Amino acid sequence: MRYLLSILVLMCCTITVAAQDLLVEAESFDNPGGWVVDPQFVEQMGSPYLMAHGIGKKVKNASTEVTFEKGGQYHIWVRTMNWAPGEWDAPGRFNLKVGDLAFDKTLGLRSGWGWEYVGKTKIGKKESVALELIDLTGFNGRCDAIYFSTSQKEPPSSPKKLAEWRKTITAEPNAPKEENTYDLVVVGGGLAGCAAAIAGAEQGLKVALIHDRPLLGGNASSEIRVHTLGIYGHFERILKKIDTEHYPNGSAEAELDQVKRDNNVKSYDNIDLFLNWRAYDAKAEDNTIKYVDARQTATGERKRFTAPYFVDSTGDGWIGYWTGAEFSYGRESVDTYGEAWEEHGELWSPKEADNAVMGSSVLWGSKKTETPQQFPKVPWAKPVAKEHEAINGEWYWEFTRNDLNQIDDAEEIRDHMLRAIFGSFSNAKQNPENDNVALEWVSYLVGKRESRRLVGDHIFTFNDAKEGTRFPDAVVIETREVDVHYQTVLTDEKNPDFISKALFYKTPEYYIPYRSLYSKNINNLFMAGRNFSCSHAGLGGPRVMRTTGQMGAAVGFAAALCKKYDVNPRDIYKGYLDEYLDLIEEQKYPKIPESKQ
Amino acid sequence: MRIGLVGIVFFMLAVCRAQIGSSIHTLYENNENGVLKHPPEFYLLEWEKDGKLQEKETPLSIVVDSMGRQEVRMLVNEASNPVLYTSNIETPVCADGECRLMHIRLYWTLLGEYAGFDRFPGLPLTKHDHDEFLQADYLKLHHLLSDKLSILERRSIDELVEKPKQPEVEGADALSGATIKEVKESVVGGALYSCYVAWHLVHGAIKEDIKEHTMSLINDAMVREMLNSNSVDYQMFALNQLEMEKYAEQVDRISEIFESSIPMVRTFIIKNLPDVFWSTEKLQRPFWNNFAKVDINSRSLLLDHLQYASKDTLEDLSSELSVMTKNQLRAYLQHLEEHKMTSKSLRKNLEAFSKNDSEKYAYLVAQYLEE
Repeated sequence: MRYLLSILVLMCCTITVAAQDLLVEAESFDNPGGWVVDPQFVEQMGSPYLMAHGIGKKVKNASTEVTFEKGGQYHIWVRTMNWAPGEWDAPGRFNLKVGDLAFDKTLGLRSGWGWEYVGKTKIGKKESVALELIDLTGFNGRCDAIYFSTSQKEPPSSPKKLAEWRKTITAEPNAPKEENTYDLVVVGGGLAGCAAAIAGAEQGLKVALIHDRPLLGGNASSEIRVHTLGIYGHFERILKKIDTEHYPNGSAEAELDQVKRDNNVKSYDNIDLFLNWRAYDAKAEDNTIKYVDARQTATGERKRFTAPYFVDSTGDGWIGYWTGAEFSYGRESVDTYGEAWEEHGELWSPKEADNAVMGSSVLWGSKKTETPQQFPKVPWAKPVAKEHEAINGEWYWEFTRNDLNQIDDAEEIRDHMLRAIFGSFSNAKQNPENDNVALEWVSYLVGKRESRRLVGDHIFTFNDAKEGTRFPDAVVIETREVDVHYQTVLTDEKNPDFISKALFYKTPEYYIPYRSLYSKNINNLFMAGRNFSCSHAGLGGPRVMRTTGQMGAAVGFAAALCKKYDVNPRDIYKGYLDEYLDLIEEQKYPKIPESKQ
Repeated sequence: MRIGLVGIVFFMLAVCRAQIGSSIHTLYENNENGVLKHPPEFYLLEWEKDGKLQEKETPLSIVVDSMGRQEVRMLVNEASNPVLYTSNIETPVCADGECRLMHIRLYWTLLGEYAGFDRFPGLPLTKHDHDEFLQADYLKLHHLLSDKLSILERRSIDELVEKPKQPEVEGADALSGATIKEVKESVVGGALYSCYVAWHLVHGAIKEDIKEHTMSLINDAMVREMLNSNSVDYQMFALNQLEMEKYAEQVDRISEIFESSIPMVRTFIIKNLPDVFWSTEKLQRPFWNNFAKVDINSRSLLLDHLQYASKDTLEDLSSELSVMTKNQLRAYLQHLEEHKMTSKSLRKNLEAFSKNDSEKYAYLVAQYLEE
């Protein structure tokens, strides 16, 4: 249990006013009940939060206990947001109970993240008080924090002022106290990050793998459930430890592969796995990363990770972004790299560059039951779903729009998809043939396809795939078609705005060079996963997860050689390429067990 | 029984005639001496009233399995400008070792895209079980042929008839059980092979050949004609072909397209308008006037040009805050702040919006007014 107490003493001439404050972070509740910790949008709204993701059924109360140092009359606020405001009851309503006092005030009503006043209550000195969050809807009510103060002054809501205020109220020092040193720090435990950690560890590196979820796999995890596609290239042995079967996207079969993946990664003694730790800062000096700071998503505990080499497999390129690595976002103009595909013109590559990118998916599914199943009315979903009917999602449930950034506006994108899902399901439920159908599972994690792309010594383009360019430093091999998605609403306004279509280009076997897997300007930064060095159209093929896994394995092996010779990633290309390619080639063949040598 | 079926077919024809809204003519009646007097029975483009198209030879042809070369002809209007391409196709359709001939007259646009088809009297399309196509089946075929991104493109016929045993063969994240459903929904029931053959004839190599042929004939009049068309392909082609210096003289038509076309065309227009539009109030005004009517992406692209907007435009936008997304509203308010824009009516609109409880982003405007 983490709660923060501070005494703010306000001196005003000769009058002294002492205000007593207590900030309780919701994600730190002892017992979250049916609420889930959502750490996806920390960089935008300031903190992980608790969310009542009940897919239409009220979730169990979240509860915790806090002790107040000083007694007094406390004013209470919660930090929350109405995620679908409009002329209907807010979808995510909830109540707060403090001790025996259940406040009537309905919470979750305000537009945009900020504080809602709950009421006031008297609390005794050293009194231990139980707090409970009571979900009223089952539709994603959210609570970031609960603030108690003997002063009536509402805390600030604007993101910048709030961050300052949080620092003051928690009296948090700038740097984490604990520092851990590794040979390689991998941030992001998707397929690329897992493969990088395994490859590095197998070569004897001491590896930290930092991941902000309880489960490994990113988009392939049982929390998002996208199956892995692409080929194994040189790394079949490693990738088979972490990939998935080809079940339909959204299938619960993902849970079996989840167990396999988690067990396999945990089996490496020299991988220190930091699950539920989210990196929040990184610093470079002289273009060399010194450390990455991460925070436990529930307790708020912090650690600093230092290492000679880092892998950015965050998907969003956060480590590169924080340390000043060059990156790109959006679509290049057709002439930038000559990536035209005339047949699809603007949908493939635009005459003028823009900020359009492929969208994010939120997968979901339903099941047939023996008895009729009710589903609540969802008027707040209607403006998004309109008349669309569905009882299952698929990859083409995807959302992007040019006023939305896949990183900065990810929460709005996720929420738009939730409205699309609940609204389309509600529409389908009007059909008597779906009487017995019930929602089974809806992800609350945004499955992103494209965000920041860090720039390396080589930018992989559509032409590299189309022509099968044989790079001297080819480390990833792929045969999968290149496919770039567009929103179908762009060609017909009658279509829902959350459905995409794929444009497929059949390529020969193609290769990704090692030079696309380390930063151009940050000396000790590797990247693997969708944030590798590529153009928008270049990402169309290798964004699938066996391919990104290959990238991860490739950088894990490169990191081992970097350590061996005490050099930077670029030096491997310049001076040790043969040894590196030999090391990768060896991965194709199973090693002879020591007992048989 | 037979009479009953014929009756149903006639009834369907009558219904479809009403639905299509155009009169149906048999191909032979419509096509005397190579002159097309009426639009094809299934047709996507506009047809000029009382227009007649004359067939003209081209060097183009389609090679059909075991039937050899089949000519592709151009159809020109009375001013001798090309309007369509067409070919009378006779092709075998084979399934399970049994083959029969399919007769169909196909039409392409000047850019090689599908434009429509006619059936030959007495030679109806048939299904696998030899049943003739019903009118609804022809319409479904028309719809399928109109979809150049059809699932049929990427699949061999074998993959369409049963679920692939190794779904990762094509390695697309677009592959799953849903695709089989998509196939069923898009093809005529019992006529998968005919649909497959027709789709690949329409969207095969001939597309590029036709486009190339048109490009060898292209002139200003044809580009203007396309600009004035309702066809999105023609609009895009014309906008790309039109020289930048001629954009200004076409401002009326371009702004009309901006208002009425699909989002993809609108965004192309806004992104590619020459600088003179942004430095000339009367040229840019028609686009701002459509701000509330167009899609969100187009609105965002318009707002990227706020720095060129006149004071009047900025004021007008203050009464369109309801249609703006959060980020659009932020961009607009930031522009007002940076340029210290203020006026009585502007402030009045902002205040009214900030106090409107049903506006979800009222708080953003309220914050702006406070600061």
